[in-house]
Amino acid sequence: MVRKVLVANRGEIACRILRACNEAGLPSVAIYAENDASSMFIELADEAVLLTGDTIGETYLDQEQILAIAKSTGADAIHPGFGFLSERADFARAVGNAGLQWVGPSPEAIEQMGDKMTARITMRAAGVPVIPGEEIEHEDEADALAAIEAASHRVGYPLLLKASSGGGGKGMRAVHAPEDLIESAKGARREAIAAFGDGRVYLERLLTGSKHVEIQVLADRHGRTIHLGERECSVQRRHQKVFEEAPCATMTSELREAMGQAAVAAAEAVDYEGAGTVEFLLAPTGEFFFLEMNTRIQVEHPVTELVTGVDLVREQLRIAAGEPMSCGPLMMRGHAIEVRLYAEDAANNFLPAIGPLAVFRPPEGPGVRLDTGVREGDEVTPNYDPMLAKLIVWAPSRHEALQRMRRALDEFVVLGTTTNIRFLRELCDEHEVITGATDTTTIDRIWPNGWQPTVPRAVEDMALMAAAVAESAGLHRKQSMASTGGQGPPSPFETIGRRFP
Amino acid sequence: MHHQFRSPEGPIEVTVAKQGDEWSLGGLSTTVMADGRLRIVGSDGGISFGHVAKVGDVWWVHTQGHTFKLERIEPGATDTDDGGGLTAPMPGKVLDVLVAAGEVVSAGTTLMVLEAMKMEHRIVAASDGVVMAVHFAAGDQVEQGVALLTLDES
Repeated sequence: MVRKVLVANRGEIACRILRACNEAGLPSVAIYAENDASSMFIELADEAVLLTGDTIGETYLDQEQILAIAKSTGADAIHPGFGFLSERADFARAVGNAGLQWVGPSPEAIEQMGDKMTARITMRAAGVPVIPGEEIEHEDEADALAAIEAASHRVGYPLLLKASSGGGGKGMRAVHAPEDLIESAKGARREAIAAFGDGRVYLERLLTGSKHVEIQVLADRHGRTIHLGERECSVQRRHQKVFEEAPCATMTSELREAMGQAAVAAAEAVDYEGAGTVEFLLAPTGEFFFLEMNTRIQVEHPVTELVTGVDLVREQLRIAAGEPMSCGPLMMRGHAIEVRLYAEDAANNFLPAIGPLAVFRPPEGPGVRLDTGVREGDEVTPNYDPMLAKLIVWAPSRHEALQRMRRALDEFVVLGTTTNIRFLRELCDEHEVITGATDTTTIDRIWPNGWQPTVPRAVEDMALMAAAVAESAGLHRKQSMASTGGQGPPSPFETIGRRFP
Repeated sequence: MHHQFRSPEGPIEVTVAKQGDEWSLGGLSTTVMADGRLRIVGSDGGISFGHVAKVGDVWWVHTQGHTFKLERIEPGATDTDDGGGLTAPMPGKVLDVLVAAGEVVSAGTTLMVLEAMKMEHRIVAASDGVVMAVHFAAGDQVEQGVALLTLDES
């Protein structure tokens, strides 16, 4: 049973989970740091408890404090969202030891998938294809370097060195020639030791021109493990996804079935429970290889929800409560695309931006979904991740979904903070995106020297005129009056001659 | 009415005239709508809508899917403004100072390197000039918007 859910996260994903709790009739608890005191997610919770401390480590990552809040509020389940503590096996274990329900897989499953070398070995044993390569277990620098050198001849060039505890590109090196191997291996180990306290690295053949295709899985305690089809997330900048879609444009039903079965086998190999994602590289040859498994809900989960009709977060809550999942056989309908809106300057090497959201007006209309944790009037600060919102569209076909995304992005107005909206909009016009021939190097290939907006002269003239008219007409004075409320419209309670309360 | 806005190519002058409720500029005409948006009629008769908001001295404008930042130059202000682009774009740490007071620099010279939100950001001279003062040293923390250096654009 789950009676009350504590959401150990913030921002957009906290909003997503709190809304699911609300819909399921489950009371919810939000936790928040001081600098989130006026954030939107707090309003969506039945209760909100302030975390003491200043840094992320003292707040959203403070396991003991979060467990104490669960106890004092009477929450009996903890949903970790993504990021923060979501893939921390020690926290999942502490939650269980405290007699609470963890909304996610067992600590053992998190551990087996979290260590990349262990995951590769487990997957190979389960018959899931992994990228050709070799694990190097040596901890000692000299032994490890000798073993890497020996393994490199068998793996072949170009190759990738990856940290076993790695993620987000840390402790990763591409090696194109044997003379660079030792230097790169030392660098990867150094970075991995600094970031994760674990210098073990493994070798993988570098598969160029591959697509990043991942399979959503769901598993419950009643013996059912299913896949919900694929998402393609090849379009990435700085190893971060910005454009995700379901289904993959080049997918066939045979390949989907094969990848789906491999993902189910991967999940079953670690006795998986809840929602998870098995990531694969899909080579131009049609071969696919296990990359890693994310043992949590993912940022891009909405595209799967829109094409399958399954509410993944609701299923997570159901499964955590010990109930069987509610979805039937896999049915995919139409096409969904998600773009991630970041407060960043896409024309300046994607430098994160901050500022007020003086105007925040998302698009509306058919087939448009917005998952966000901000609203107009909020301030974008450097305290947290600069993702402002996820804009997701659904349409009967991929062609129409792209048309709808263009329309939605054109309607999206954000003023006061620089965003990547125009970058995403121009991305939708690129040939590779239109044909679906995207791979993980698409952005670097289209804009090798960085992106710059293409602005028609006539539109620029209109903007200049708009600014001049706005200044002349004193619109800024009217705006500040409305925001301070000092000279605003009279209160209705005064006009009808009574007081409230 | 006459206004000046800053652009990478130098100041742009814009003069709009008002007749009744309608503002005009060349073939363009604009009216202010009740909700504060602008209705812009192009020279070809096409209608566009503009959202505007002013933050500090900057007018943010959205029209036809494009967003613009137009910094207004106050009448009478010189083009040096308060530090030009030589202010910290966001809170961060000074990684390196590449010039000293008294040094003559040309437009495009990197003056300082900041680390903000885990990324390096170069502070570049917008024009030729002489470094009058350097306000921070390597390792210093800086707040957003503070002047990092003073440049005399002589």
